[in-house]
Amino acid sequence: MRVTKYVVTSQDSDVLPSDIAMKIYESGHEINIKETCFGVIIDGEEDDIKETVNEIRAIDPNNIFIKDRGFPPGDSRRCRGYRGGGARPGFYMIEYESKILPLISQGLASDELDEEISVPEEKKRPSVERIEELIKEEFS
Amino acid sequence: MVKVMVYPPTSMILADLVERMGHEALVVSKEVRKKVNTIGLDSPPLNMTPEDPKKGLKYAAVDVPSGVRGRMALFGPMIEEANAAIVIKGNSCTLGCTGCARTNELTRFLLRTKRIPILELDYPTDDAEAKRFVHKIRQFLEGLK
Amino acid sequence: MIRIAQLSCGSEYSGVQTELQKAVDSVGAELIYPEVSLEDVQDVEKRFGIEVASGDLNLAMARATRIVENPDIADAVFVATCFRCAEGAIVRSEIRKYIHENSSIPVLSYSFTERTTAETLLTRMEALVTTAKYKGLLSRERQTGLTAGIDSGSTTTKSVVMRDNEIIGTGWGPTTEVLKSAEDAYNAALKEAGVKKEEIEGLGTTGYGRHLVGKHFGAKLILEEITVNSKGAVFLADAQKGSATVIDIGGMDNKAISVQDGIPGTFTMGGICAGASGRFLELSARRLGVNITELGQLAMKGDQTKVPMNSYCIVFGTQSLVNSLSAGSKPEDVAMAACHSVAEQVFEQQLQEIEVKEPVIMVGGTSLIEGLPKAMEQLLGIKVIVPHHAQYIGCVGASLLVSGLLED
Repeated sequence: MRVTKYVVTSQDSDVLPSDIAMKIYESGHEINIKETCFGVIIDGEEDDIKETVNEIRAIDPNNIFIKDRGFPPGDSRRCRGYRGGGARPGFYMIEYESKILPLISQGLASDELDEEISVPEEKKRPSVERIEELIKEEFS
Repeated sequence: MVKVMVYPPTSMILADLVERMGHEALVVSKEVRKKVNTIGLDSPPLNMTPEDPKKGLKYAAVDVPSGVRGRMALFGPMIEEANAAIVIKGNSCTLGCTGCARTNELTRFLLRTKRIPILELDYPTDDAEAKRFVHKIRQFLEGLK
Repeated sequence: MIRIAQLSCGSEYSGVQTELQKAVDSVGAELIYPEVSLEDVQDVEKRFGIEVASGDLNLAMARATRIVENPDIADAVFVATCFRCAEGAIVRSEIRKYIHENSSIPVLSYSFTERTTAETLLTRMEALVTTAKYKGLLSRERQTGLTAGIDSGSTTTKSVVMRDNEIIGTGWGPTTEVLKSAEDAYNAALKEAGVKKEEIEGLGTTGYGRHLVGKHFGAKLILEEITVNSKGAVFLADAQKGSATVIDIGGMDNKAISVQDGIPGTFTMGGICAGASGRFLELSARRLGVNITELGQLAMKGDQTKVPMNSYCIVFGTQSLVNSLSAGSKPEDVAMAACHSVAEQVFEQQLQEIEVKEPVIMVGGTSLIEGLPKAMEQLLGIKVIVPHHAQYIGCVGASLLVSGLLED
């Protein structure tokens, strides 16, 4: 079966969509590549895609993220050109998670180096007496 | 190699982390792929038909809105196949397949009551949280092997 | 081409998106999904006033705010959510009100199930497109020249001939064979008017049989009954300035339409339920052994509180009436209970979906059954007007609107 995936680069990454495209051309697999604002959409036979995905990730493991896509690239059932301008709902999820990618990249990098994990500080609720004090201060 | 369902099942971050650790991520786009590539079906955009809410009756009764049952027709097979799950608590961008809060609540419930290994956490908002986030997920996924 | 913005949740997953698309295609319009940004959706509480748990509803509300900010992006709006979803129903209602209050874009609101088909939506879609497309024509207030209208309804066929803003001939009969019934009603109207068919400058048709009848007679205007009936209603009630609400309980269905300055706007149409239409009154009259034309007068003497009704359904409702008669209830009380049952069902369903503003005008053949407008008055707490020629609103509206086409 033909399979489509997004290859998304974190904003902090130096990897360009053209670098990814080059890697795929070099691999010799019959894979279609389409550059987008997020990175690249790749589409090909399941086995070809499986093999290539690991090679692509290896370019910059902490900054490249791969996501499955149900529709083939440019499918008119989803393309905003056929929808009067509005993006398909899945687009917003990629946009939302892309904003967090730099944090995830750093998390991956620190995990790789086996850095120490801090324990989150537990937030304590103020007591009723303390709130009373604060009210008195504010309204005096 | 274990089948791990991610919630939201549209999450690129969770699916990627699962797959780079050598497991299989169960994501809704794989279900959508099956639907849109089904020959003989022409029901854009997702090739879902009134049969799907009927399939969803397995998970929700007939008086539950059709959109919930239809979405459950997509999520149900994933939940059944899952041997483990990673769930993001709290708010995230839930639109489209995850655009119905009742479906999402039911999905999380079914995963929790399935008695499979399950990791629940929030999206990170800063560095320290991001380190904990990735570390916990890696530990969890390694523990599944 | 009329662009209808779809603001919905669940239609793709209920498997009905194809049917929605079919209905839109058949009225020659296109469905669009206005552009919004992720921030619009995340800020929906600030922009619209609520944020709900279901993301697709938030997306719909965000789209509504964009449409109001840029009214050029859509000509009409279709808001749709799953039947039985409370969150969906609340958001749908608020979106409808929001767009109605902040723009002049017509809105159609609907709750679907997986069984919704294009046919169910067709009349509503036609009315939506008419309201968007024919604003100029719909603002017409006077009938000019010599025109006629035929309303080919499910139960009765009506016709009028008008000249210089006056009704000069009417025709009425039960709908048996559609074209024959139309011929009979039309001929009767022409005879009373004292004019020949060839002298008529323009004919408009409406009702269930409008396409068949319109084609047969070469009508210049074929339009659905939602816009036409409401237009006829405000014309006859002399309520073409300011707001008005038209309630049309027909032989087989019911509609409620908000009209502003003579132009129909938001409307709802009840699903096919015999209990909320003239069918129930017909059955009740038969059971009481009176002619349908006498039911109204009988009901005016009655008190519905003396007859408990357990259901709006025509089957169970009739059973309640029969039980009451057997228990010794007076026929006039039973007659009024029947009228009240129909009025109450329309009140609870249709009239919650539109803004009810005075004057409230009741039309259609059922409005002549005096008990029904009285029951509606009691429920609304507002005076209900039944204009002269109330059963002819469809053909009057068609005759009025077709005269507008002649001038162009």
